[in-house]
Amino acid sequence: MSEMVRTIPIELTVNGRRRALEVAAHHTLLEVLRDDLELTGTKECCLVGECGACTVSLDGRIVDSCLVLAVEADGAAVLTVEGLAGGGRLTPLQQAFLDKGAAQCGFCIPGQLMSALALLQATPAPTREAVEEAIAGNLCRCGGYEQIIDAILAAAEADER
Amino acid sequence: MHTFAYARPTTLAEAVAILDEHGPGARLLAGGTDLLIRLRDGTARPVLVVDLKRIAELRPAIREEDGRLVISAGTVMTDIAADDTVRRFFGALAEAASVVGSVQIRNRATLAGNVCNASPAADTAPALLVYDAVVVTEGLSGIRRIRVDDFFVRPGVTTLGRAEIVVAIELPMPARKMGAVHVRRTRRRGHDLASATLCCGVDAGGVTRLAYGSVGPRPVLAVDESGVLGDPAAPDAAKAPIFERMFADASPSPRSMRASPDYRLAMLRVLGTRALRTAIDRLAQA
Amino acid sequence: MSAASIGTSPNRVGGIGRVTGLTEYVADIRLPDVLEARLVTLECARARIISIDASEALKLPGVRLAMTAADLPEPMPRFGPQFADRPVIAVGETRYHGEPVAIVAAETKDAAEEAARLVHVEYEELPAVFTLAAALDPASPLVQDPALRPNDRLASTNVLREHLVGWGDVAAATADVVVENTYTFPMVTQFAIEPHAFMAAPDGDGIAVWSTIQHPYWLQKVISKVLGLPLSKVRIFAPDPGGGFGGKQHAKLEPLVAFAALRAGRPVRLILSLEQTFQAVRRASCEVRVRTGIERDGALVFEDIEADYLIGAYADIADRVVGKGSYLAAGPYNVPAVRIVARSVLSHTVPSTAFRGFGNPQVNWAVESNLDEAARAIGMDRLAIRLRNLAKRGDAFVPFDTPADGDWEQTVNRAAELIGWGSPLPPGYGRGIALGIKSGPTTGLSYSTVRLLADGSVIVYAGTSDMGQGARTVFAQIAGQELGVPLEWVTVVMGDTAIVPYDQQTSASRSTVLMGNSVLQACRSIQAQLAAMAARLNGLDEASVVVDRGVVHLPDRQLAVVDVLEAGLGPLGGELTGNGETRKDAEPDHPLGGSAAFFEFNCTAVEARVDEETGDVVPVRHVTVSDVGKALNPLQVAMQDDGAAIMGLGHTLMEHYIFDESGRIRNLGAIDYRIPTSMDLPLELRSEVVENEDGPGPYGSKGMSEGALLCVAAAVGAAVQDATGVAIRDLPLTPERVWRALQERPVR
Repeated sequence: MSEMVRTIPIELTVNGRRRALEVAAHHTLLEVLRDDLELTGTKECCLVGECGACTVSLDGRIVDSCLVLAVEADGAAVLTVEGLAGGGRLTPLQQAFLDKGAAQCGFCIPGQLMSALALLQATPAPTREAVEEAIAGNLCRCGGYEQIIDAILAAAEADER
Repeated sequence: MHTFAYARPTTLAEAVAILDEHGPGARLLAGGTDLLIRLRDGTARPVLVVDLKRIAELRPAIREEDGRLVISAGTVMTDIAADDTVRRFFGALAEAASVVGSVQIRNRATLAGNVCNASPAADTAPALLVYDAVVVTEGLSGIRRIRVDDFFVRPGVTTLGRAEIVVAIELPMPARKMGAVHVRRTRRRGHDLASATLCCGVDAGGVTRLAYGSVGPRPVLAVDESGVLGDPAAPDAAKAPIFERMFADASPSPRSMRASPDYRLAMLRVLGTRALRTAIDRLAQA
Repeated sequence: MSAASIGTSPNRVGGIGRVTGLTEYVADIRLPDVLEARLVTLECARARIISIDASEALKLPGVRLAMTAADLPEPMPRFGPQFADRPVIAVGETRYHGEPVAIVAAETKDAAEEAARLVHVEYEELPAVFTLAAALDPASPLVQDPALRPNDRLASTNVLREHLVGWGDVAAATADVVVENTYTFPMVTQFAIEPHAFMAAPDGDGIAVWSTIQHPYWLQKVISKVLGLPLSKVRIFAPDPGGGFGGKQHAKLEPLVAFAALRAGRPVRLILSLEQTFQAVRRASCEVRVRTGIERDGALVFEDIEADYLIGAYADIADRVVGKGSYLAAGPYNVPAVRIVARSVLSHTVPSTAFRGFGNPQVNWAVESNLDEAARAIGMDRLAIRLRNLAKRGDAFVPFDTPADGDWEQTVNRAAELIGWGSPLPPGYGRGIALGIKSGPTTGLSYSTVRLLADGSVIVYAGTSDMGQGARTVFAQIAGQELGVPLEWVTVVMGDTAIVPYDQQTSASRSTVLMGNSVLQACRSIQAQLAAMAARLNGLDEASVVVDRGVVHLPDRQLAVVDVLEAGLGPLGGELTGNGETRKDAEPDHPLGGSAAFFEFNCTAVEARVDEETGDVVPVRHVTVSDVGKALNPLQVAMQDDGAAIMGLGHTLMEHYIFDESGRIRNLGAIDYRIPTSMDLPLELRSEVVENEDGPGPYGSKGMSEGALLCVAAAVGAAVQDATGVAIRDLPLTPERVWRALQERPVR
């Protein structure tokens, strides 16, 4: 029996911009980002928190947005891949992904970038092993891991210089 | 996903009242890494989801109090794995917390949630058993302190009452030095649900506490007070029968997709032997 | 900004969109009045449909459409690249776990989901055939109606086709030693991170279809046929897929979505869940019986191979996979007598389709592993036995096909050198080496158009699908090089059948060679026009003007292309257009319909560490060397080879479908179907190429990107055998399965 879906008002900051929305309780942050805010950079894949294609930063920590209800993000600050490049210029991390050939089909890349960013913010000079662990929740079926890891290490080095 | 109502109480009393009113029609939401999966596949169809994250008493915190380390219910795995006190005195719990899924999962999954979900494969359960953890709850009848060994019943079932909420998990600060380690078997090196989990702790008094999971309806704790297991000089032949006694309660399900019963039972022995060695080494270094 | 970029690795064209999240995949495209669709499927492998009642679903607010077989033309339109056997939607019977019986469409996803739940299907579960043994049992039910294959002696069996390939006389051959074993390869799925997505919208008196399809022009034909529309009224939009690996080659649900859109009079969009993709596409599992005859000095005498591939309920391209995959089963060796019998066997399972390697990985696992056994039987080194029998350039190692087209020994020696073959290993470690070979395309047709605009910038039209392999970049590099412009000045237009000329398909690692040659041709045509223009302007003979890499060479000086253009086009402006066509025609008498345009050849060597107590296999060092002719973009080549190697480790160590007793898939989705993560990599992965510029593609290139997957399993399996003394013949080598094999080994 279907009744009118009640919506709940939430306010959150997405990529630095205040957004006020009405969301259904059962809609995930992933759905709201993609469908309501039209930020389709964050991707849908497994929807069970295994593949990381939906990774975003929520109050400074990376999460699988498919496992977060939109209502839980009320009052939070969300950063998605669209929020990385500022003023039309790529960040050094994005540039490193380009230069090192990290993106093949590209579908996992937004999630990889968010996880990489979180790692470099916490650990500016990670070891290769630390990078492998940091992106272990981001599946890449093209198997681009080596180049993705190279890119993250290159970005770390670029920041150091 | 079916829709549901959403409540976000700001006090424990409010939360308890909501649970009392709705009973099993309400589901508690902390990290959401278990609940959201069930909501999606329809195995959970609550009328109401109660978000605990605005309740002040449950906010993430790890602090020492009266000879116990108190981990509030909202504390996530990332913070447990990184906490200095946890790493120093409850190292196996830090290890366990650091393998609960990916970074993304660990940033949301709470220790309390892991325990309440009561999966036999819960990674933190063996360490909590070894460290003699206590689950602190609040409900209609006030505060309860439940030994974690008395908390697990079977998959998905704990001894939590109808309108009762876990507020913290407490670990008694160790009276004696202990060396402990958390180990597990998975299908790949990358993060995975465990087909066998095991925590082994050896203390300075020679007592060995060994807990294991994912080989039966609930995690099991076994204790050896003879001192034989914890004695680095004792031969394997002396240790083997003690291990056998400890693993006697293992009853892995034949229906599992992850691993078959004979493999799991064999791995318990392998994990137990290796974990024991590591625990003895760590005790020596402590 | 360099113009001459062949052999260098400029950044991926389309890369910026991928690192900013701005690239639009099919699921990101939202038409204003689109309806969200959901499928209705049954929780069993096979069922007789008794009735479907969608009345409750249709009453739900926001629900606009519910369609079943009853709403489609009669007889039910069927399609399929080999046989028109797949119905647009199940009619009368479902034949695999996940076959749709109804589709609903609504204003919102929520309404569509609930509507799907409210469609009541009355059905009777029927016994399903989902193993090879069951499928081959004469007492088992038939998967397909024999009436679909009249005049076929196999129509009363579940064997769809039998492929026989061979030469010499295996029956009469005598060998010093004969080694015989049976090997199995599991059922696995492509698991592209982008699930399949489809959208259709009425477009005037025609239709527009968006799909994650790898073959837009094939799809165009299918839609045209099932809807009864001329090709010119069917427009396929094919945005770059988020990974394809073969699973997105052929039409699956586009026809259904197209019917739904026409019925609704509005756009309809269907995005599969990951679980549904497992129920839509997979690789054929296989059982291979190999008898290898060898002389004491290591010379191969015969290979007698029987391969049974378990394909799904509808043929899709699976039978071609079986025929083409098994064809080179004997390997890149000179073998005097070969007999290959390969069968495609139908079952009540997900229709298997193309998947990187196209039927080769299955037989490679068996035949390369068996070659190791033969080596051990005669006490010969496993590298030496391969070198001893390896075909040399020009050898007709398959008598009626393209001769060996590379110095393959070079590849093998390099891999052996990199892995340190022959050097001592600590206990618990083992080493394996294996060779892989696959035919490139056997037929093909690619058109390209290139436009040189008035300011010297370039547009390339190429109907190839860039699903990660970097085709777009390669074509831009070719055009940039030939017309003397930096990559930033080249736009590549793909993925729209209304604008881009015909390309047969993106598969078999063909695109660099076939489409690349077409792009090259188109550029050469423009160069000829430029030469004529320069000759005319300067009163010269055309023959005395040469255009090379964007420079116009006159007898006494050089001019930039853009200067010739400006002068030559004059005040009216304009542009120059070139067309290219690369065609590889069918050879009707050839068993595969055509000989190989080139071979993908790879040598993989692995050093692995085995924990005998737990069964864990860790690839410590993984070396993969491929014979590529010319790496037009070396970084992209490395990305593909690394990626193929890692994908190969998936089916080698962890991937497999798990069924229950009645043919339902138990491990749908990402939690219990394991693929390699960043923590499952070889501790050291090294990929290299051999470049002898001996390929038929531009600048001597060959196709690549499947080679490095072909023999991963055999190399790893050999390493495990080397470490433990136990040969395991069934994949995947999960810790439990390795442990079990070690438990069962005879006590040493």
